[in-house]
Amino acid sequence: MRDARVAWASARLEWQHLGRDRLFLLCTLLAVVNFIVVVSLFGLTGSHAPTALIDEDGGPYARQFVSALEQAHHSFRLEPMSAAAALRALRDGRLVAAITIPAGFSDGAASGAIVPIRVDVDNVDIDLTDDVQRALPSAIVAFGTAIGVSGVHVHAEEHDLLAHDTDYIPYLVVSGLALDALVVAGVLGALVLVRDFEPAAGRVDKLWRLAPVGPAAVLLGRLLAAATVAAVAVGLTFVVVVLGYHVSPRSLPQALGALLACVLIFTCLGGLLGVVVRRTQAVVPLVFGLAMPFYLDSGALEPARLDGERVWQIAHLSPAYYAIGVLERAFHGLQVTPEPVSVDLLVLAGCAAAGLLAAGMAARRGQPR
Amino acid sequence: MAAHEPAVSLENVTCQFKRRRALNGLTLQAERGAVLGIVGPNGAGKTTLVDVLCGFVRPNSGRVSMLGLDAARRPHALRRRIGVLPQETALYAEISAAQNLRFAAALYDVPHARDRIAALLRLVGLAERANDVVRTFSGGMQRRLALARALLHDPELLILDEPTVGIDVDARHAIWEHVRGLRAQGRTVLLTTNYLDEAEALCDRVAMLHDGRLLSDDTPAALIARAGRRLELSCAAADEERLAAFLRANPAVRRHERTAAGFVAYVAEQAAAESVVRQALAIVPLERFQTRAPDLAEIFHAIAPDMAA
Repeated sequence: MRDARVAWASARLEWQHLGRDRLFLLCTLLAVVNFIVVVSLFGLTGSHAPTALIDEDGGPYARQFVSALEQAHHSFRLEPMSAAAALRALRDGRLVAAITIPAGFSDGAASGAIVPIRVDVDNVDIDLTDDVQRALPSAIVAFGTAIGVSGVHVHAEEHDLLAHDTDYIPYLVVSGLALDALVVAGVLGALVLVRDFEPAAGRVDKLWRLAPVGPAAVLLGRLLAAATVAAVAVGLTFVVVVLGYHVSPRSLPQALGALLACVLIFTCLGGLLGVVVRRTQAVVPLVFGLAMPFYLDSGALEPARLDGERVWQIAHLSPAYYAIGVLERAFHGLQVTPEPVSVDLLVLAGCAAAGLLAAGMAARRGQPR
Repeated sequence: MAAHEPAVSLENVTCQFKRRRALNGLTLQAERGAVLGIVGPNGAGKTTLVDVLCGFVRPNSGRVSMLGLDAARRPHALRRRIGVLPQETALYAEISAAQNLRFAAALYDVPHARDRIAALLRLVGLAERANDVVRTFSGGMQRRLALARALLHDPELLILDEPTVGIDVDARHAIWEHVRGLRAQGRTVLLTTNYLDEAEALCDRVAMLHDGRLLSDDTPAALIARAGRRLELSCAAADEERLAAFLRANPAVRRHERTAAGFVAYVAEQAAAESVVRQALAIVPLERFQTRAPDLAEIFHAIAPDMAA
């Protein structure tokens, strides 16, 4: 009971601190929304490559071919324009490629003749060139199948593992929520504990180390305050994801519960870093520096196990790996880690408990001489 | 705690940090209801001593007891009965004075905290500023607030680590008044200081440390007497040799030294200083003379000339 009162007083103290620093709170809220925008840019930039369409034929088969191009994987954002305008735009770096459907295309296609399609590619980046090279054959096959041209025999029959498809952006923004929770809860968890150890702030840790209470209650209170602020920030991002990106979780209670769990767990891990490092200027870049590799190697863009055995093994070191596993399951019903979600949650809870324990032990330690 | 038992007792306490021995077999006692000053040059072991008493540092050997309790075995019980004003004040600068005290009250489970906080803020003259952010306080106000916080749980023993360092004269005297008030209430106060006038104004006894050892444990008056009054004399260059010979031969002069401005002599007391000046005036025309109490460095020099060197 006594410890609970101390923890509550400690949390209230932290809310008072945060309440007085409104600029910090505003920047925190902006930062988490910004992270979602940043990760969704990965998807937006990769899936709509601006491509000129120069239709010199204008016939019915040309229109069907354009339709096949539009539906191709790694879809183009086709922009009809003249050959001269396309060449200028390509040289100015405003286009990835220019596809020219030559005059006589429809007649040639109707008679089964070979019709060359000219494709000019900005090969500034091999990835862009590959996208175009991958997309064109599938568009041509789709086109040939549609018009019943003999000799086109390739046909892929898709059998889905899952009952539903998940678009790339919805997958990304959910993993982005894990990054948000990791960064904002990690930074806040670290900062609320670092404050007391900073020499410039007067080594306020002495106050509670002199008092007849253990550090656990004080630390827990601080972390609770940090977690509530982080939860509000991540909650705001959740609203942006639902309303802005139209990504609705399959189970709202599960999704909110998973997010809250991630916030609590990452707050504890941030707290551990704060107590160990004990310097604001060091702990903030440390959290950010850890967050990005943790995030990218944790199934952020696709399940980590599909990126190769070694990448997947390394991913197990990252708390974001387990968080993304839990969140993708809660939002989309996806199983993105070979381990069951219960194991992911257990590992995260273990990390939090270990973090708290280690933070408590580190807090007992005096100022190093 | 038995009435005769000292409030603070250190027996042969040693603290070693890597190669440096911060406390070296220190034995020291503070009587109940008295103010004990701890003085010494930088690196003497004052801060380590405070850290040991606060429980921040565990000694490598020796025994520390406070208020009749073994500090190593009963740290929690002791913390309820000890108030500490750390050198850094350890205040949260971005929240108000009252919020600082409310948090401290929760830590010490202070009953009727609201009334107690109001009373202490009145005591230290900060009632009007209770809801102001601590960052806006002067150094002296912050010290007074930290003192109020140290008193919040009504401790029997107060440890004040350089309570007036870096604050102006008025604030210093305000703190002194509070310490005198605490002494009048019968509380034991242990304070570290670098100011002899502070030790003289507040302390019943002064322990002087050097290299983690106790050099001297005496009353402030006795300490000052050991160094003697400082008498500064100057005369024309042509008369300097005669003045030096006079000082050498005068039995009232314990030691003297030549400085850029003339001579400094140390004599037993004020009356002796006046007598030395009268005798000197009979021999050479003095351009200037003045006396003052010795400072800590001079006392240190008098007690341990080898160490001071």
